Amino acid sequence: MMLSKNSGRGHRGLQESMYSVISLLFILVACVELCDAAAAIDVYRLIQYDMSGSAFGSRFAALNHHAASLHFPPGADLSRTVLIIPLRELNITFVRDYINQKKLLGGLLFLLPEIFNPGNGGNKQVHEREKLKNVLAELERLLIHANLPYPVYFAFENNEIDTVLADIKKNDATGQPATATTGGYKLVIPTPEPKKVASPTITNIQGWLSGLKADGDMNQLPTIAIVASYDTFGAAPALSMGSDSNGSGIVALLEIARLFSLLYSNPKTRGRYNLLFGLTSGGPYNYNGTQKWLRSFDQRLRESIDYAICLNSIGSWYNELWIHVSKPPDNAYIKQIFEGFLNVAEELDIKVGLKHKKINISNPRVAWEHEQFSRLRVTGATLSQIPVAPELLESTGGLFDSRQFVNETAITRGVKLVAESFARHIYGHQGKNVKIFADGGSLAVNPAYVQSWLDLLSRTPRVAPFLSKNDPFVMALKKELADHTDEVNLQHEILEGMFTFYDSTSATLNIYQVASVAFDLVLLLVLGSYLIVLFCFLVITTRGLDDLISLFRRPHSRKVKTA
Amino acid sequence: MTMFHFFNCAILTFGPHAVYYSATPLSEYDTLGTSVKAALVYLGTALVKLVCLATFLQVSENDGFDPYQEILKAFIGFIDVAGLYFALTQLTHRNISQNHKFQAVGLGWAFADSVLHRLAPLWVGARGLEFTWDYILQGLEANANLVLSISLAALVSLIWLRKNKPKTLIPIIYACAGIVATMPSITSYLRRELEWHFPKVIGFELFTSLVMAFVSWQLFSACQRPSA
Repeated sequence: MMLSKNSGRGHRGLQESMYSVISLLFILVACVELCDAAAAIDVYRLIQYDMSGSAFGSRFAALNHHAASLHFPPGADLSRTVLIIPLRELNITFVRDYINQKKLLGGLLFLLPEIFNPGNGGNKQVHEREKLKNVLAELERLLIHANLPYPVYFAFENNEIDTVLADIKKNDATGQPATATTGGYKLVIPTPEPKKVASPTITNIQGWLSGLKADGDMNQLPTIAIVASYDTFGAAPALSMGSDSNGSGIVALLEIARLFSLLYSNPKTRGRYNLLFGLTSGGPYNYNGTQKWLRSFDQRLRESIDYAICLNSIGSWYNELWIHVSKPPDNAYIKQIFEGFLNVAEELDIKVGLKHKKINISNPRVAWEHEQFSRLRVTGATLSQIPVAPELLESTGGLFDSRQFVNETAITRGVKLVAESFARHIYGHQGKNVKIFADGGSLAVNPAYVQSWLDLLSRTPRVAPFLSKNDPFVMALKKELADHTDEVNLQHEILEGMFTFYDSTSATLNIYQVASVAFDLVLLLVLGSYLIVLFCFLVITTRGLDDLISLFRRPHSRKVKTA
Repeated sequence: MTMFHFFNCAILTFGPHAVYYSATPLSEYDTLGTSVKAALVYLGTALVKLVCLATFLQVSENDGFDPYQEILKAFIGFIDVAGLYFALTQLTHRNISQNHKFQAVGLGWAFADSVLHRLAPLWVGARGLEFTWDYILQGLEANANLVLSISLAALVSLIWLRKNKPKTLIPIIYACAGIVATMPSITSYLRRELEWHFPKVIGFELFTSLVMAFVSWQLFSACQRPSA
């Protein structure tokens, strides 16, 4: 008796452990979720920002809708579909009308040609490139200033998405919009809701090259400043590389720093001027960073600056550059600077024009970087290929500003122009035809240096709110400037004012090919009838037809029996 | 509607087994125990086959068809036959007629095969958003497999359980048993060497399973006549 009881308890213990193992197995099995999408591609979200309280850009990030192409049947309800629009087939008026009429969409996905892909390149015919660039520029302008209550994403064309799009177009051509009951493709982006970027930082990098102080001279040496803003703003923050605006300016500044560090390393050739190099952030936001940087200066330092040259977009010009000033052209200082540039430009076969734009102190809009200098009574000018002052958030290095459209020779010529002009001012060679940075010499402009930095900049998105304090790129710039100057300082500030940014700039899109509910219902019917037929067949063959009929007659016969 | 699709594919894969059990006299004679024992024997056979494959087979770099490896796999496939023999003869069954014994054993065998080979991919794959025809084709393959298992069980029972067989039919019985036992090798040859697509292979399997079922039914009834 005792033995059987113990064995019984042992059995039960074994059974209980078996049950727990089985239940654990069930839990594990229920948690298995594999990704089995037809395609998974990287997508980049449209920027989301608030300016002075008004909302702009795409306000949502998560996506879970069916896909449709531009050939959707007219009159279809698109509030739960994602429109896939390749840039080549873009009709800008269609998009503009859609946005202006505030029609509701499930989402938008723009497919960009490979030439705008920073990691890639590809050379296409020139006319097609220019046309695509203009279309993209216009699209960006439209999207940045619109408020879109649905997710908008950019992706690059590749084989997978091209085949998917061709399939979608074929389905749309038959006239059936894709919904839950008709199958098709489903686009899913599982990201959480975008949150505000708290306290976005802007980092100004300054490098100081000291001039040669004569013995016994107590006065402060005069300073020449050269400044370029390094951050960008575009429709997709993860794709805003800004090769021309202002990658070209940064590269030129670094090369000029390198050349002058070579000159100043030898005390015999060190000039009697200090050189101040400034890489500022916050450019697109009315040069906020430059203002904070200047405000942090000592009053004496600010007064010692002879003049400041700001570089802005000098990468794709052919023979004409502009010097923009805010002081009137007949001002003595302005005349001196402009004539210095003009002399060098004539020798280098460049046309240089002078443009004057007055500052309105009450207007917070700062179109050029030199205006921040002028507001603090420092003579400044901006050298640029852009003839007219850009609007707010225009020419800030968007998606269309890619590496293909930048010309290294333009940058090298610009570097020669600025470096020679500086050298003549520093060493007092005005009017003399002396070429310090001549080609082939030890101080020649290094095209390989220009090219490698330009390539790096064309692969690095630089939207300021998404660059952290210790971002590797900022550290790289600091290190490079430290190589060429005596002293480098970083200044961290908070980007305040009218701009607020939201995160979630890139994601992975999963494309699933789904079958409709109708298909599964039909399948259920077919399977049900198959099983019933199989059942009847087996009953007939093994037991006989009478048994099959008796199966249906059984309740009736039972009633008869009991009665 | 992905759980829906999983449910559909599950009833396609496992439904016929349940239907077979309830439709034929197997349910009346309560042969569930036999089927369960046959399923366990299948499990054991599968483990033995795995060990043999791991020991004797070489892993080839290319995905091509190596005749020697395939012949070796076919030989290992005969372990299936041995397993069926064990299930039919060595296990103690209740008093069931031979007619029903092979059906019960074949049913349990096919059910275990479906569960082991098809349940996990079905659970993991058919519940996802992405739609493929694979799981429906897999269900059809399970159906073909059911028919093949029952025919194989019938032929094995003929070989070893029935004592008086007409002499002329014995080689045919062995030949049919050989064909059915080497079906997996044949399908893999078709898939790799001739590069047939999955639906075509499934169609071939269904067709041959019906043909073999018919042939084995004829053989079984022919052998039954003298003793009846």
